[in-house]
Amino acid sequence: MSAGRLAFDAFALVAVVFAGLMVAGKDPIKSVLALVVSFFALAATYVMVLSPFIAGLQVIVYAGAILVLFLFVIMLLNVGREKPDGSRRPIQTVLGSLSVVVFATLLLGMLRGSGARLPPQAEAVGPEQLPDPAAIARLLFSDYLLHFEAVSVLLLAALVGAFVLARREEAP
Amino acid sequence: MIGTIPLSDVLLASGALFSIGIAGALLRRNAIQIFLSIELMMNAANLALLGYGAALGTHQGQIIVFFVIAIAAAEASVGLAIFVALFRHTETIDVNKINLLKW
Amino acid sequence: MTTPPLWLIPAIPLVGFAVNALLGTRLGKSFVSAVGVGAAGLTTIVAYARLIPFASGSHAPVVEPLASWIAVANLSIDISFRLDSLSALMLFFVTFVAFLIHVYAIGYMHHEATDAGYARFFAYLNLFLFAMLTLVLGESFLLMFVGWEGVGLCSYLLVGYYFDRAYAAAAGRKAFVVNRIGDYGFLLGMFGIFAAFGSLNYSEVFRKAAEHPAQYAPALSIICLCLFVGAMGKSAQVPLYVWLPDAMAGPTPVSALIHAATMVTAGVYMVSRCNVLFRLAPEVMLFVACIGCFTALFAGTIAIAQNDLKKVLAYSTISQLGYMFLACGVGAFPVGMFHVMTHACFKACLFLGAGSVMHAMADDLDIRHMGGLKAKMPITFWTFLAATLAISGIPPFAGFFSKDAILSSAFESPELGKLLWFVGLFTAGLTAFYMYRIVSMTFFGQFRGTKEQAHHVHEAPASMTFPLIVLGILSVVVGFLGLPAVFGEHANVIEPFLAPVFPPIAGHEGAHEALPHATEWLLMAVSVAVAASGLTLAYQWYARQGGRTPARIAASMPGAYALVADKFRIDELYDFLFVRPYAWLAHVLWRVVDVLIIDGILNAAAFLVELAGDFLRFLQTGNVRNYALTFFLGLIALLLFVVGAP
Repeated sequence: MSAGRLAFDAFALVAVVFAGLMVAGKDPIKSVLALVVSFFALAATYVMVLSPFIAGLQVIVYAGAILVLFLFVIMLLNVGREKPDGSRRPIQTVLGSLSVVVFATLLLGMLRGSGARLPPQAEAVGPEQLPDPAAIARLLFSDYLLHFEAVSVLLLAALVGAFVLARREEAP
Repeated sequence: MIGTIPLSDVLLASGALFSIGIAGALLRRNAIQIFLSIELMMNAANLALLGYGAALGTHQGQIIVFFVIAIAAAEASVGLAIFVALFRHTETIDVNKINLLKW
Repeated sequence: MTTPPLWLIPAIPLVGFAVNALLGTRLGKSFVSAVGVGAAGLTTIVAYARLIPFASGSHAPVVEPLASWIAVANLSIDISFRLDSLSALMLFFVTFVAFLIHVYAIGYMHHEATDAGYARFFAYLNLFLFAMLTLVLGESFLLMFVGWEGVGLCSYLLVGYYFDRAYAAAAGRKAFVVNRIGDYGFLLGMFGIFAAFGSLNYSEVFRKAAEHPAQYAPALSIICLCLFVGAMGKSAQVPLYVWLPDAMAGPTPVSALIHAATMVTAGVYMVSRCNVLFRLAPEVMLFVACIGCFTALFAGTIAIAQNDLKKVLAYSTISQLGYMFLACGVGAFPVGMFHVMTHACFKACLFLGAGSVMHAMADDLDIRHMGGLKAKMPITFWTFLAATLAISGIPPFAGFFSKDAILSSAFESPELGKLLWFVGLFTAGLTAFYMYRIVSMTFFGQFRGTKEQAHHVHEAPASMTFPLIVLGILSVVVGFLGLPAVFGEHANVIEPFLAPVFPPIAGHEGAHEALPHATEWLLMAVSVAVAASGLTLAYQWYARQGGRTPARIAASMPGAYALVADKFRIDELYDFLFVRPYAWLAHVLWRVVDVLIIDGILNAAAFLVELAGDFLRFLQTGNVRNYALTFFLGLIALLLFVVGAP
């Protein structure tokens, strides 16, 4: 087991553990914080997978902006703990758990089967160039320019939409 | 292989995260927590994409994840806006209680 | 001058129909009369323009194709018209009598109908003429069938002319339905002919049958029987005669044209046309003769107890048609056709006379209300008398020669000949009796109607008396075309004229030794005597004694009299045997099959869909988590499918 692999496994384990804590937590604030930690660990794993640029984005945008937004909303609305609900019909819980288990098993099976096999590659980029942000930027502004612009328009739309949805209704 | 990391490790991690996220999305009643679980699922997918991109020796994985993060940002803002508007009306965050479309 | 084509003859009344149907209501009665009568007259002229050269020429059959109609696989039907002796004979009196009746109808229908009704009447009359001429002139069975159905349709339309009267509408329907039963037989016969001969053209079928009789004879029994069923329906023989007396509900010109002179003779024409086929099926011929003879007797017995003037004439028509089939059945087809022709003249005359009386009596046809009309309606009386003497078989009137020819042909027939002759003779006496009965009760004695009717009685206008006179004269003279051999070797004009239509068949030459002259004279004398005694008896009882003796006889056997007067309750029997079960079946099919089963299935399907919906809507819990779970389950299913597939 090499050092790199060990590091990766460690970070991945941290991410998974804190993700579990997030899902199991009753207090929303605690959940968000657990997820933040998980995302940081994930960012580390991204680095291990030769994507430091993305790791940076993960920290800045995901952990630093999106989850902070979540925190804001929780505190704004004063969302409390989840109260236990006397649910008459447990079908959702039962079926949900069951299906998750089945799904996990399926994924495992797929992984064991052929998941990690790769098709032969024609032009593979070497591990030295993969992490290079300049290469990514070049690609973004040439081959993927349309996608780039489209996403920016999407962000604009989301901005407007969020604004409209969340404002208070004016009294007539 | 990505350096010294076998792809199967990456995929295992990604799968585990995804399953946890699904469990959270299905089994929690708090709308915020469901949303968080969905974000977790997206991150699991990001990890898988990056793993494959690195193993295949292409930049495309990173490009896709770049866009995914941007879109996730947009989606999160809009989703939270909806959530805020909903909460103003119903004073509850329990998804079970929001069932106006019931038969 | 070029000869007019044959297709023009049916085409002219068709055009008349179209014009009157489309424009008649708007253009008034004079226009309609002009078009209707004009069409009938014009087609008569054109027909005679072809007939006269034909008759004075070689009598060779002429076939004029018009167009190809069906050309499919091995079935090829053309629209062609045939002029030979048989169709020439039919054409001769059909056109002329139809023309006279069209003229008569002007006066008869004038104040009967509105402009719209008047136009409708003449349009239908022209349409009928078109169909009848197609029937007569067609060169194939299919074309004859077209005309056959067409005359049936026009009969329905015209019998039910007063469609607002329930009785008339029902009579029209009855005529059509009973005819349809007969037509079914005709259709089966046509199918058989096509199956056996591979063609429906007269020339081909008859040629093949004549050349290879042994090959076709077995099938022909069934075929001819089926064809005769059709003839039974159209020509009102037992058991399919019940529509004809009811059909008197139509206007009198209709009764005269369709149910006396033309349509009902179509059956006889058809049998004569197919004589080659019938002669190869002797059992069927015997059947035809027996049915004809029985019908003649049966209808005659009913006629003596009827009190409605037109009903008596209707039963008389059925009876005379029986005579025609009797002649055909014993193999004397030319004699049967001769009787068709004479019958057309005197029966039309009788019906038109009845119409004149009906007019005078303000639509009352009960002969018990009449009497003594001779003084006020002389033309009607004399023409009616002439036609009565003709139908009774008194020489030298027309009916005598034709009826006598039928009776002698029956007499010399080898199978059942004497029996058929005797029944025919007795029926002739009956005929004379009931005909003179109505003459006496209508025209002689005291008037038995109401005061208003007495005031109303008047002779018919010229448009009605002119055809009466012409037909009355014809009733006298037309018989001279068929003088029997005793009057001289070449006295008979009809039989040689018609001979080409009845070719000899190899191996089936009937041994036709003519009766010795002495027997012929004897038979003639006997039939005259029987007819005369019938007339005298009727005269005595009704004109002289005012009906006391028959009344006493009727009173002494009330049950039998009621049965006869009630036409042997055959209609009631049919109603019980056929109509009611059929109505019951229709009711069951409606209530059970249609409403219960078919509608039930549809309703059940709708109900099931509703039920499914009622269950499925519980999936809509409104709860987003449930929906997410459903998505996920679907995803798992998809994964299983993808993974499980290899």
